[in-house]
Amino acid sequence: MKYVAIIRQVPDGESKIKVEGGQVDLSGTTMILDQMDEYAVEEIIRLKEQHDGEAVVVAFGPERTEEAMRTALAMGADRGVLITAAGYVDPITQAAALAKVLAEEAPDVVFTGGQQADWDSQALGAATAEALGWPVITWTTAFELEDGKAKATHDLDEGAEVVRVELPAVFTAQQGLNEPRYPTLPGIMKAKKKEIKKIDAAELGVGGSKVEIVEQRIMELERKGKVIDGTKEPAAAAAELVKLLHEEAKVL
Amino acid sequence: MVLVVLDHDGSKLRKSALEGVTRGRKLAEVLGGDVVGLLIGPGADAVAEEAKDYVSKVYTVTGADFETYTAEKWAKAAQAAAAAAGAKAVVAPASRTGRSWTPRLAYKLDAALLEDTLDSWAEGDKVFATKYSFLNRVLEKQAAGLPAVISVKPNTTPLAEPAGAGTVEPLSVELGELERKVEVLEKIVESGGKVSLTEADVVVTGGRGMGSAEAFGMIEEFADLLGGAVGATRAVIDAGWRPYSEQIGQTGKTVQPTIYFALALSGAVQHQAGMNKSKVVVAVNKDPDAPIFKESDYGVVGDIHQVLPAMIEEVKKLKSA
Amino acid sequence: MALDFSLTDEQKQLQQLARRFAREQVAPVAKENDEQARVPWELVEQLYEIGLLNISVPEAAGGLGLGLVEEVIIGEELGWADMGFYTIPMASELGITPILLAGSEEQQKRFLGPLTERPSLAAFALSEPGNGSDAAALRTRAVRDGDHYVISGTKMWISNAKEADFNVVFATLNPEMRHKGVIAIVVENDREGVSFNKIHGKMGQRAAPTYEIIYDDVRVPVENLLGDEQSGFKIAMLTLDKTRIPVAAGSVGVARRALDEAAKYALEREAFGRPIADFQAIQFKLANMKIGLETARIYTLYAAWLADRGDPAHISASAVAKAYASEIAFEAANEAIQTLGGYGYVNDFPVEKLLRDVKLNQIYEGTNEIQRIIIARDILRALK
Repeated sequence: MKYVAIIRQVPDGESKIKVEGGQVDLSGTTMILDQMDEYAVEEIIRLKEQHDGEAVVVAFGPERTEEAMRTALAMGADRGVLITAAGYVDPITQAAALAKVLAEEAPDVVFTGGQQADWDSQALGAATAEALGWPVITWTTAFELEDGKAKATHDLDEGAEVVRVELPAVFTAQQGLNEPRYPTLPGIMKAKKKEIKKIDAAELGVGGSKVEIVEQRIMELERKGKVIDGTKEPAAAAAELVKLLHEEAKVL
Repeated sequence: MVLVVLDHDGSKLRKSALEGVTRGRKLAEVLGGDVVGLLIGPGADAVAEEAKDYVSKVYTVTGADFETYTAEKWAKAAQAAAAAAGAKAVVAPASRTGRSWTPRLAYKLDAALLEDTLDSWAEGDKVFATKYSFLNRVLEKQAAGLPAVISVKPNTTPLAEPAGAGTVEPLSVELGELERKVEVLEKIVESGGKVSLTEADVVVTGGRGMGSAEAFGMIEEFADLLGGAVGATRAVIDAGWRPYSEQIGQTGKTVQPTIYFALALSGAVQHQAGMNKSKVVVAVNKDPDAPIFKESDYGVVGDIHQVLPAMIEEVKKLKSA
Repeated sequence: MALDFSLTDEQKQLQQLARRFAREQVAPVAKENDEQARVPWELVEQLYEIGLLNISVPEAAGGLGLGLVEEVIIGEELGWADMGFYTIPMASELGITPILLAGSEEQQKRFLGPLTERPSLAAFALSEPGNGSDAAALRTRAVRDGDHYVISGTKMWISNAKEADFNVVFATLNPEMRHKGVIAIVVENDREGVSFNKIHGKMGQRAAPTYEIIYDDVRVPVENLLGDEQSGFKIAMLTLDKTRIPVAAGSVGVARRALDEAAKYALEREAFGRPIADFQAIQFKLANMKIGLETARIYTLYAAWLADRGDPAHISASAVAKAYASEIAFEAANEAIQTLGGYGYVNDFPVEKLLRDVKLNQIYEGTNEIQRIIIARDILRALK
């Protein structure tokens, strides 16, 4: 069997974001493998460890995405395919390009992160599934292979459900699915020798982005920051708080 | 023509449906044509009676095939309705399920997808939207051509008022092979959540400082009192005190309620990503240096086991007054 | 064009891994381990799992065979999170290095191979109750008895001594011969007559275990001798010429943490209606910390680079790096406390621990006074 994780490189959530000329400027920002994609990478490595086969990471993004791909390889994925493109390309257009590569790779199972830490998008997994004519299961918290099909638990708007899915299919991962391993130093050294095939997005004959980012700015929400000391008289503090919420904030 | 896919619970429209109608009307003013609606799944015919007061026509898609949700089926139904209506734009709720089928629809229609939008409008033959990005830390404006699929972030848009009676038209949708590849085996109903977390006006979230799963009884009581939903931090989920579905944060749900209670949680960056757009944030923590106080409008430094019961009493007094 | 300050892609990934591990696993428990003087063995196990323990063990012995540049990269990150914890893997490398320098291939496989097979440590036993800096004056005796040496004496201030598989022990065949009588020998901890006393009441670095070792007529086979009967002192010096570079790296980590904490606090804390970061008195402190940090980091990497190339200039360079980095780090910790004022003086904030921890960096693996003697000797030798 073949398992694919679609990954992305995003800014480390702990690092500051800056905006230059109305666009987010990532120069100097620490970039990491998207934490949501880590669940996807971990899952395909586990599948490979349990059932044999090949674990492949695929990405669409700028050249620097290779760093995140090396991290996935250092965790234990076998090889990578990187579709390179500069600048913002919307997930629907990305999906068309990824589908061309995936159709050729012909995996049985594809995982990707449930939400992207840069564009806050949840679309890539579902759009890629559509481009391939495969089903998608979003927000997967449990996954197992069973008689050539997959059995998965995933979250809905309220509650969750268990589904059986014909393969090949796309799954989006979330916390709870597994506990991603750290890459290891021997893994990092081995990853150096693993293959990363690069394909220019232009060669895949996919059009330009359907969505344009016109302007970006940092959100600063001013908070009031009123703090009441409730260490000595908790009941009085609670009364004051509820009064403030009722009379000043007018939300209760 | 603008198509609005209307979320419902089987007997009435959800709030998000009325937010969608408002967005649809705003787009139709510029793009021209009417606003039409689509109801999918069990109860759609009944809900159509309510829905037809908001749109010129309501398509309904029902039947055995649509008893349970899958992204493939919903996308297929929306595609059929969009074709029937000749819609240039499709508006849908940015709920978890909404965000799982709208990318499929956008791909089918070769349309631009504007996802989880705070606002959206048309100028000429272009559509624009604002949304958050970079873990809710950046506000961005996007532009795209037509056709476009736009998902609406909950609690961002005024609810539409009724505008007179429209018509109802059942639509028959033939499923293909793709739509039959997912079989739902079992539904797992959430425990405490009586109100949908992402749509709730009030969210009460407890952190590790609650101390135990049992202590969340207090949180549930407080949330019920306010008609709100219960949330939890990653640490709480990891400890197994609450289900994943209640997690707020980068790897969980994002909420934007009118009032957010952050109780006995420190306020890590990853948590803030899930709640920092709430209108009013209230924190209770025994550590005066907890980062959450900097992200709060109102805070109480103190022991949650003393402060929260007192808050519950005060709210009860307020309600009975 | 030969000058190039960039890390390789693998080194960058190593840095990212070490940084993440330090931030997610080490830093959150540093305060607790310090307060309870608790050895975080589970972190040693995790360090082993991700391959960051005993990284210098040669490939022939089953290790990664990495150099000091890699160790420096790890050292800064772990030092940032908890200098006390970093001393554990650092002191293990100190125990490995004499075997790298003077051990036969067979000895490397026998002693170092097992260190790659499970979470385990090495240790280095040179100091004694009556001698530290004057290493040639050691009193631990080795007496040849057939195909064994019989070791007796007491070692002091030995990091990891008990947790380690073995200590590389420096003992004298004849105290009269001073450094010419010293041998280096690997003494496994499970030999008869080896006992340990844990040293309590340390000012800082309390996550790192430190011991007195008592060798009571311990019989060790001659196969455990490193080099020959004259080379022990030289092996000790050659070892320290290298291993004081990681001490510098840990110090750089401490300095970076001090700057991080001080800058963060300065932006948040208000006085006279504005953040204290607006005041030049605070800005100068931050700038001085940065000057120390940047120069110490680049010089420490330079010393490691010289050592990895086998350039003898590393002897003086490693002394410069160790003395300088530990001093700027002490100063940075001191200024961070001053920036935080009263908060800096209590352990709710992590800066007072930085000062207590990094004080040891000025003392162990050769005091900074000894480092200056090494540096001065190098200056004068060139002129003679």
